[in-house]
Amino acid sequence: MAKMELNRKTKTEIEDSSSLKGTLASVFLLGFFLIVTWVSVYFLFLDRF
Amino acid sequence: MNTLNAKIDPRDGKLVMAHFYVAFIALAVGGLAGLLQTLVRSGKFVLPAGIGYYQILTVHGVVLGLVLTTFFIMGFQIAATSRTSGTLSNLQRKLGWIGFWLMTAGTLMAATMILLNKASVLYTFYAPLQAHFIYYLGLTLVVVGSWVDGAAVLGKYISWRKQNPGQPSPLITFMAVVNTMLWIVATIGVAATVLFQLLPWSLGIVDRVDVLVSRTLFWYFGHPLVYFWLLPAYMAWYVVIPKVIGAKIFSDSLARLSFILFLLFSIPVGFHHQLMEPGIDPAWKFLQVILTFLVVIPSLMTAFSLFATFESYGRSKGATGLFGWFKKLPWGDARFTVPFIGMLSFIPAGAGGLVNASHQLNQVIHNTIWVTGHFHLTLATAVVLTFFGISYWLVPHVTGRVLTKAMNKLAIYQGVLWAIGMTFMSGAMHAAGLLGAPRRSSFSEYGGAAQATEWIPYQIAQAVGGTILFVAIILMLYIFVNLAFFAPKGEEEFPIGEVSDKAEKSPMVFENWKLWLGITALLILFAYTIPFIDMIQNAPIGSKGYKLW
Ligand code: HEM
Ligand SMILES: [Cu+2]
Repeated sequence: MAKMELNRKTKTEIEDSSSLKGTLASVFLLGFFLIVTWVSVYFLFLDRF
Repeated sequence: MNTLNAKIDPRDGKLVMAHFYVAFIALAVGGLAGLLQTLVRSGKFVLPAGIGYYQILTVHGVVLGLVLTTFFIMGFQIAATSRTSGTLSNLQRKLGWIGFWLMTAGTLMAATMILLNKASVLYTFYAPLQAHFIYYLGLTLVVVGSWVDGAAVLGKYISWRKQNPGQPSPLITFMAVVNTMLWIVATIGVAATVLFQLLPWSLGIVDRVDVLVSRTLFWYFGHPLVYFWLLPAYMAWYVVIPKVIGAKIFSDSLARLSFILFLLFSIPVGFHHQLMEPGIDPAWKFLQVILTFLVVIPSLMTAFSLFATFESYGRSKGATGLFGWFKKLPWGDARFTVPFIGMLSFIPAGAGGLVNASHQLNQVIHNTIWVTGHFHLTLATAVVLTFFGISYWLVPHVTGRVLTKAMNKLAIYQGVLWAIGMTFMSGAMHAAGLLGAPRRSSFSEYGGAAQATEWIPYQIAQAVGGTILFVAIILMLYIFVNLAFFAPKGEEEFPIGEVSDKAEKSPMVFENWKLWLGITALLILFAYTIPFIDMIQNAPIGSKGYKLW
């Protein structure tokens, strides 16, 4: 019981309030979406021309 | 920032509101035309009284793409400058009024000719379609008026710099100055084609016009035009939104750098609108496509900076996990939520833009309704919803009223309805475009062709979306009238964000206009000189004018 509480405490403390990892992930997702869109129209192009 | 005005001077406020009245009248007229277009294209509706499809399409494009945008932007930039660099001098304000009246007179001239059906040449007024000369003259006055209006902003900036030597100018003033410079450099192209080609030709002084030269001058202007629309939205995203949500500006230098990059890279790229145009050497098209793709850098810098602002804010409110900050954002505040919908729409809009700008992929979508779907996400959602979001606080700020809880709620409904309507309309436009459906085409079955039959369900979906959008426009107009004339008296804040105290002072090099305008000029000369000489030396006999409507 005591051990579990201790664990929980350290877990919230590791989370750095100045972390920008969500920003990093968001920008990667954005880049991924841009590439997927481009590649899908590229295949449409290959298919047609 | 010692000259910061918490409240704009009422005399400046009056000038701002004059611009906004015209902008919102334009929204009403253009919105109605837009609805009619989608209905006609669905095949279920025929325009009464012999009104032509291309006539209302010209009304829609001119009034929303040129009038609403230019008037709103001039008003907003004057407000932002007056708020952060101090009240305009009497001379500067007079310039603002002269600019406003020139633009208004020009708008009325152009509008009259469109209504008389003498100018159904669409808002791009491409030769060899030939309008009545008063139409071109009217649009010239709009541009000249916007220069005079811009002089008010530049004048205020110059006097601020004199009073504060060695200091970086207030961020949003700096941004308004970049956008004004961008606009002046860009409009030289359209002024040149109108004054030297289209006016003499429509007046009958010359018989023929060089079509390729006029289109090239048009797109020299046409691409920076879209950045002229977008940068004011970015001003709100970088400077206003952080304050609205109670966060700090992530980085002042990053914001300035991205604006300078937009100035440099948004002009020498007009060929990406002319990729399918014969008569331009592909090597120069390739060069301009590379310059176009450089705009990805400041765009992703902006995305990064906004995500970072939101995440830092959410974490300061105790958010944890990868995306926990998202839930902490103030979703109940229309001043945030409505522009945020605009930001979201910029993601598919940007993706579509990369497709448009790639030479091969452009062959898939060129002149299809995909393109219309694209700029209804960039301009008619990202930019316009941000402008609406600005109006929710700027209009009551200058009229001495407040955005009530009820209006705030209605404003959120307005934004959500816009998002739903546009998802239908723009989504269907993108899909039909990939199937080859043309833009700028009234309803037609193309002689019963099987391919055209495929497009019809998408055209119905566009009409559904258009109807929802029209309801959203009515809501917006209702809110505008409320905020301008009826809302309770009070103080509404003009939110201007502060830079996080950890950030370093911005270097003065950003204010070195000789440097930035010099590089801009060099890039333009590099990208355009040789192809332009080529076009003139190898010019075919020009074209006579056509009136095909
Ligand atoms: C009620 C909302 C709207 C509807 C239903 C609507 C509908 C349409 C449709 C159907 C077209 C294309 C027609 C064609 O190519 O045949 C079009 C074109 C256009 N729209 Fe909209 N639109 C709306 C709002 C806006 C807004 C807010 C703006 C800009 C601020 C805008 C700017 C334009 C422009 C510049 C064109 C191009 C005209 C041309 O190709 O010459 N629209 N609109
Ligand atoms: Cu462009």
